Amino acid sequence: MKKFFAVTLGILTAIGGFVDIGDLVANALVGSRFGMSLAWVVVVGVVGICLFAEMAGRVAAVSGRPVFDLVRERLGPRAGLLNLGASFGINLLTLAAEIGGAALALELATGIDYLLWVPGVGLVAWLVMWRVKFETMERVFGLAGLALVVFLVAFFALGPDWGELSHQLVHNPSDDGAAAYWFYAIALLGAAMTPYEVFFFSSGGVEERWTRRDLNVMRANVFVGFPLGGLLSIAIAGCAATVFLPRMIEVDSLGQMVLPAGLAFGQIGLALVIFGVFAATFGATLETALSSGYSISQYFGWQWGKYVRPREAARFHAVLLVSTMVAIALILTTINPITVTEYSLVFSAAALPLTYLPVLMIANDPDYMGEKVNGRFSNTLGTAYMILLLVVAVAAVPLMLLTKAGR
Amino acid sequence: MKARVLHAHLHLLDRQVVRGDGRLLCKVDDLEIDDGYVTAILSGPLALGPRVGGVIGRVMTGVTRLFRMEEHPAPQRIPMGSVAEIGSAIKVGDLPEASLERWVRDHVIDRLPGSGGGEPDTPDPRPVRLTEIPDRERLSSLVARRVVDVVGEPVGQVADVQLTQDGPLLADNGQALRLSGLIVVPRHTGQLFGYERGPGGSSPALVRAVIRRLHRGSVFVAWDQIATLGDPVELAVPAARLLPLHELLQR
Repeated sequence: MKKFFAVTLGILTAIGGFVDIGDLVANALVGSRFGMSLAWVVVVGVVGICLFAEMAGRVAAVSGRPVFDLVRERLGPRAGLLNLGASFGINLLTLAAEIGGAALALELATGIDYLLWVPGVGLVAWLVMWRVKFETMERVFGLAGLALVVFLVAFFALGPDWGELSHQLVHNPSDDGAAAYWFYAIALLGAAMTPYEVFFFSSGGVEERWTRRDLNVMRANVFVGFPLGGLLSIAIAGCAATVFLPRMIEVDSLGQMVLPAGLAFGQIGLALVIFGVFAATFGATLETALSSGYSISQYFGWQWGKYVRPREAARFHAVLLVSTMVAIALILTTINPITVTEYSLVFSAAALPLTYLPVLMIANDPDYMGEKVNGRFSNTLGTAYMILLLVVAVAAVPLMLLTKAGR
Repeated sequence: MKARVLHAHLHLLDRQVVRGDGRLLCKVDDLEIDDGYVTAILSGPLALGPRVGGVIGRVMTGVTRLFRMEEHPAPQRIPMGSVAEIGSAIKVGDLPEASLERWVRDHVIDRLPGSGGGEPDTPDPRPVRLTEIPDRERLSSLVARRVVDVVGEPVGQVADVQLTQDGPLLADNGQALRLSGLIVVPRHTGQLFGYERGPGGSSPALVRAVIRRLHRGSVFVAWDQIATLGDPVELAVPAARLLPLHELLQR
C-alpha cells in the first residue's frame, strides 16, 4: 500500500511537473495556427523524453552519476565545456521565461503589472531552493501543477468539432507555408525534450538517493507520468485549435492562452487555470535554476545538491543565487517573456544531441551499468532518435532565421 | 591474478572524485606521471585549463594564477596512494576540499541567513600543492603527439594511454598504474568514446559503426615498441608490426 502510494504520488508529480512555460506557449501558439496538425510532434517528443529520461534515471540509480557527469566524462573537457556553455545559456533563458510566466500568472490573478511581481517571484524561488527539502519541493509544486488538468476537461467541455480536429491531424489547416510549420515542429520538440528535464530528473534521482531497487518506481514515473503530461500538452493545443483557430486569432499573450478554460467553466475555470499556470511555471523556475547549478557543478566536479546543507555545497548555492539574479534582471529589461520562451525552445532543440549522445553511450557501458545496460529496443530507438535530433539541431537555427522566428 | 588494464581517457580522466565520507571533491582533470608511472591525480583550473586549450583555457589558468598567492601556483594534487577505488567514480580517502569552495563558503554562503553556518570552523588543512608541475609530467601532454615509426613514416597521433596496474605497491591501496601502451589514431577525428576497444557487450550498433569507421586504421603501440618518447614519438619498429586496435579488443 505504501509502495502504491509512493508510485502514484511520483506519477502525479511527473504529470504536474511535465508542463512548463515552454510547453504552454508552444502548444497554445501551434494550436491556434496549425490546429492539431503538429500533435504528432508532441507524441514524438514524449517518446523521446521517456526514452532518454529512463536511461538517465537508470544510470543515476545504478552508478549514482547524474547526466552532466556523463557529458564531461564521455565528451571530454572541450566538447563538454561547449555543451556546458550552451546548456547554461539556454537554462538561463528558460529560467527567465519561467519567472516571467509565473509573474504573468500573478498579473492575471491580481491585475498588478507582472514586472512588479518578478523580483518577488525570484526571491521566493531562491528561498525555496535555499531552505526547503528536495522531496517536499518537488511534490508540492508537481501536485499543484496538476490544476492544469482543467485544460483537458475544458477541451472536452468546449464541445470541439471532432471531425474537423481529426481532419487536422493529417492536414495542415494553415496557409503559412512549410518553413513556419517545420519551425514550430522544432519548437514543440524542444519544448517536450528540453535538456534541463534530464539534468533535473537524473540529479533528482541522486538527491533522493535512488538505488537499483527504485528502478521500477522510476520507470513507472517516466512511462506513465510523462505521457500523461504530454496528453495535457495536446489538450492545450486542442483548446487553442477549438477556440482560436476558427476565429483566425493568433495567440500572443498568456492571457489569451488561459481563455479556453474560462470559456468552458467561467470564473472557476479561469481561477484554476491561472493557479495551475503559476504552479507549473514556479515549479519549473525551481527546476531550471537548480539545473543551472547542477550542470556547472557537475562539469567542474564541485559538491552539489540539496541533500547536503547549503554551506557544504557553497559553490553550487552561489551559482543558484547568481543565475536567479541574472534571470530576474533579464526579465526586468521588459523583454517579452513569451518571446524569450520561443527563443529558448529553438536553442534547446539545437543543443539536444550534445546532451543525449553521452547518455546513450553510458547507458551501454557495463563499467557503469553492470548488467543493467540498454537492451536492443532502447538502443534501436535511441539511435533513431540520435539521427532525428541531429537533423533537428542542424535545421533549428537556419529555420529560425528563415521564418523570422515563425512570424 | 591478471593485472587490471585501464585506458586513461576512457576510465580515469574526467571522472568524479569522491571522498570517503561521500562528499564530492573534484574531477580527475589530469594525471601526473613520473618515470613511467601515474603518481597523482591533478585537479582544478590549472590542470583543466591546458586540456581545454584555446582562449578559454588560457583565461582559466590566467585568472587562477592571478588570484593565487604562490609564485608558481600548481594544480591540486591527490597522490595515487590515497585512491581506494576506480569505478564510475574515483574514491579517495579524507582530503581537504578545494580552496575556492572554502572561500565561497566563508565569504558568501555563511553570511546569508539560514545557511546553517556560524559555528566556528576548525581550520581545515590546505590542499596539497607542490610548485608548478611541468607539462612533461602531465599525462595530457602525451595526447595528440605525433607518432612516427622506425623509418620516420608517420603512424598517426596519440589518442589515449593504456595503463596497467602492476607497478610497485602504493601505501595499502594496491599497485601503481604503469604506462603500458599508446593508442594511436591515423587522423584527428574526434573522441574515441571507447567503441573501438573492449569491453564489448551491447551498444547502439549504428553509433559504434560510425565511430569505428571514423577511427579505422587505429593501432596499439606497446610501451617497449617506443624508441624515444619525444614529440614526435619515435617507434623502434616499422608501422606494419603494430597491433591493429580491433585485435587488442579480441585478446
